[in-house]
Amino acid sequence: MTPAKEFLENLKRTPQNLRESMLRNGKAPESDRERSQSTFHNFFLHLQSVRVHRHSLRFGYTFGLGLILTASFVVLTFTGILLMVYYKPGAELAYDSVKDIHFVVPAGRFIRNIHRWAAHLMVLAVFLHMARVFYTGSYKRPREFNWVVGLGLLVFTLGLSFTGYLLPWDQLAYWAITIGANIANSPREVTDAIGITVWFDPGRFQKQLLLGANYVGQEALIRFYVLHVAVLPLALTALMGVHFWRVRKDGGLSRDESLPAPPARIGDADVAVFAPNKTYGLMAVVRGRTPEVDRAPEGTVASWPNLMWAEMAAFLFTIAVTLVLGYFFDAPLKEMANPAIPENPAKAPWYFLGLQELVSYSAFMGGVGIPTIVLVGLGLIPYLDRDPRGVGVWFGGPAGRRTFWQSLAYGLLSVLALLVFTVNFGWLRAWFPAIPQIAIIVVNPATVIVALYAAWSLWVLRRTASIRLSAVALFTCFLAGFIVLTAMGSIFRGPNWHFYWWPSQWPTH
Amino acid sequence: MPADPARSYKWVTVVCSLVSLLFLIAAAVRENISADWRAHQADFRAILEAKSKDAAGRAAARRLPIEIRQVTVPALHAVDRCVSCHLGIDDPRMADQPNPHRTHPKRLLAIHRVEKFGCTVCHQGQGAALSFQEAKAEDYFWDYPLLPAALTEATCASCHNPRALPAGSADKLVLGMALFEQKGCNACHKLDGKGGPLGPALNNVGLKTKHQFVRANLKGSQTTWNWLAEHFRDPAGIVAGSLMPSPALSQPQVEALTIFMLSLRARDLPAEYLAPDKIDEQYARLHPPAPDGAALFHRYCAACHDTGLYSRWDKKFQRFVPGIRNAAFIRTEDDECLGENIREGRPGTRMPGWGPKAGGLSEAEVAALVAYLRTSAPAMPLPPAPAHGDAHRGGTLFFQECAGCHGVDGKGLIAPALANPVFQRAATDAFIAQTVRLGRENTPMPAFGRAGFSETDIGDLLAFIRGWQPPARSQQP
Repeated sequence: MTPAKEFLENLKRTPQNLRESMLRNGKAPESDRERSQSTFHNFFLHLQSVRVHRHSLRFGYTFGLGLILTASFVVLTFTGILLMVYYKPGAELAYDSVKDIHFVVPAGRFIRNIHRWAAHLMVLAVFLHMARVFYTGSYKRPREFNWVVGLGLLVFTLGLSFTGYLLPWDQLAYWAITIGANIANSPREVTDAIGITVWFDPGRFQKQLLLGANYVGQEALIRFYVLHVAVLPLALTALMGVHFWRVRKDGGLSRDESLPAPPARIGDADVAVFAPNKTYGLMAVVRGRTPEVDRAPEGTVASWPNLMWAEMAAFLFTIAVTLVLGYFFDAPLKEMANPAIPENPAKAPWYFLGLQELVSYSAFMGGVGIPTIVLVGLGLIPYLDRDPRGVGVWFGGPAGRRTFWQSLAYGLLSVLALLVFTVNFGWLRAWFPAIPQIAIIVVNPATVIVALYAAWSLWVLRRTASIRLSAVALFTCFLAGFIVLTAMGSIFRGPNWHFYWWPSQWPTH
Repeated sequence: MPADPARSYKWVTVVCSLVSLLFLIAAAVRENISADWRAHQADFRAILEAKSKDAAGRAAARRLPIEIRQVTVPALHAVDRCVSCHLGIDDPRMADQPNPHRTHPKRLLAIHRVEKFGCTVCHQGQGAALSFQEAKAEDYFWDYPLLPAALTEATCASCHNPRALPAGSADKLVLGMALFEQKGCNACHKLDGKGGPLGPALNNVGLKTKHQFVRANLKGSQTTWNWLAEHFRDPAGIVAGSLMPSPALSQPQVEALTIFMLSLRARDLPAEYLAPDKIDEQYARLHPPAPDGAALFHRYCAACHDTGLYSRWDKKFQRFVPGIRNAAFIRTEDDECLGENIREGRPGTRMPGWGPKAGGLSEAEVAALVAYLRTSAPAMPLPPAPAHGDAHRGGTLFFQECAGCHGVDGKGLIAPALANPVFQRAATDAFIAQTVRLGRENTPMPAFGRAGFSETDIGDLLAFIRGWQPPARSQQP
């Protein structure tokens, strides 16, 4: 063959060679070795295990929340990069650049809407995902540490949403971040009350660390921008990697190991029984005999394509939801930030409104005390509840289900009663104008509700002698409190934080 | 063949893919193809083609690109995309076309070139927007919505002295300025540092946003101009408890005053945008002409004192406002005393001080006002006051005869406060004695001398009244 002919031949075969080189095997597997390699060389199966339990594919167990979170993050990264092309993080420029994204960037408004709704979806899903993992007991051995990693992801998710809130530089952003920065400043309430602010002022330090100044301005904007587009996404991605890796290495999604396994699916056939002492094909992919390994593939199906379809469904569901919301509802963009005209009322982002409601009684308890108690408490759950029973079962069984409903009722009623009381009668300052602030820091609706919830949880512990049920009781109470306080802060609080039945009753100002 | 474990997920994937695809296409169409400005530009192209007289013109019209157009004016921080729909705005051939293609009325753009001024410096509104609703920006999150055409004159004052403009240019604004002076608005509202403190200062009212007005009682359009107009019609109906009198204005007057209010805006414009007459106006403000007492009285005093010839019952204040141009009063007061009253006002009453540190009037203006008041009657040498007598007896007399109007504590009910430090400082014994003897014509103050008060009674009263004198002031003879 002459070089010229060879060249022409190669040119002719290039499309086929290109296609074959893209897939590492290059062609349909023919031998067992090739079949196993088609698994080992598959990118998808490097992220996933080769076989996935049927239980993990059940929608009613996970609601796909972890996948929806991942998908929202991907959507946010994609739309966020598009927005970064046009966004200018300067106090004089930011607002106009967002307006230009709205008005002249092709589909810019749509992209920003998608970004906004995906962000809300992600925050919502991260709470739901945590509740799902908790109620199915999935934090138990060997998954304790992954629960802690998940808490880190929760914090980073809220941080990403909060830092992104400032970037449009409109009135909504400006005053929400002003409130947020004042929450960071809330240790000042304690240091003031005991008179040591002059020597020790952690509140001021936190606020200045966050804003780079004593007020929300250019320094704050650039800090939030760097956190939002670089620091937090990288941190979140790294932690996500750890989270996924641990999910795989800790044995996949949790399930009730005591139940008889459903049939496994090998090739095109469902294989009913796999005795653990029987030898079987390697990874149930390769034909022929292999030595026995410690776990049988009972109840599993091939990840490719079954898990792939589940993941595709979750990704496309997330994309479809954000597209539809983004098409019909514009992301808010108010007047340009104006320090001279406060929003009335100034409200933090919705997921912090429960805290803002508590801050309205005691800045320290709402802003530092309660969040610390909640985060530390959540982190300790898997180390305090070591009972291995009830993993993979919603609420751990009928007793847990009962405890859940009772705790939900108790949690809702007690926080509602407390709010009705404070709205109608005020709190200590209204009755004893001269009372020292330290007394209010110790006794305020936030601490009262925590005490009520703790008392309930202890009572459940005494009655049932089960740490798991007591944890269910406490978690459910806090969930109920979070929902009620968030609703209170977002819907029922109007100008200067008074009670209104509906925003339409707010006096126009 | 056993059931496919991923069957439901396949369905979800397919359905969600279709929904996503559908909305992506819908968004692409909505954002790119069905925008209003594209349709307007296509219409404009057709109009241009129809108006062309020759083939070359028609070909040029057909080649007119359909694209976003904008005027960028860095000096005014303006990027105005209004011209994306108003393509014919500076094309005189479009005078007969409907909006948005029509030429700007009055050929104003010949002297205000679009490239130099843009649109929003005069019209307000959201210049960056590309749809009419968003450009108009009423009931929208935008600080300065598009001014209605009838009110656009307001912004002329940013660069012009309205009174120097040719007739027919800013007539309503000039009328508003005149009404502001005629109606005595300055008596309660400060403007450029001059005026009374009862109402809010009016500097830069035109730059306020709707969020800076209390709109709890505002019906209709939630704009600053609607607030101002409704407020001129019924002040207390918009601001509960407002002391502002209803000025009884006609509709054109309400509009003129609204325009004047909207024109109050100190915009930091580059000098090349200011008309020479505006610079003259600013110079004149630094070098005011000799003050005119009558005009000053009208501007700063008449809203409460009216003509000042008689004392007036004020329903809102619930007391008599003294008739300060009343000859009987002017006759008894010397110039120094009048000047002191104007400069210091009457603390504790609605009468504010008007001196340079309070109401902002210069010493020359206070002197001009005193001279104007003096035109009512020359100062009369007062007969001397009797010596101070028995304060206790004077007190009994005061409670019987005076306290009904002047208040038991002397702080004034419907009549002036006598326990007032400025009154105590400014009024001489001779003045008080003479007022008690002869009363005050055209006011409710009776002549007690004719009702049987002896000089001894008056001396006792004086002793009692001077008991309210602030300490550490030497008594005048």
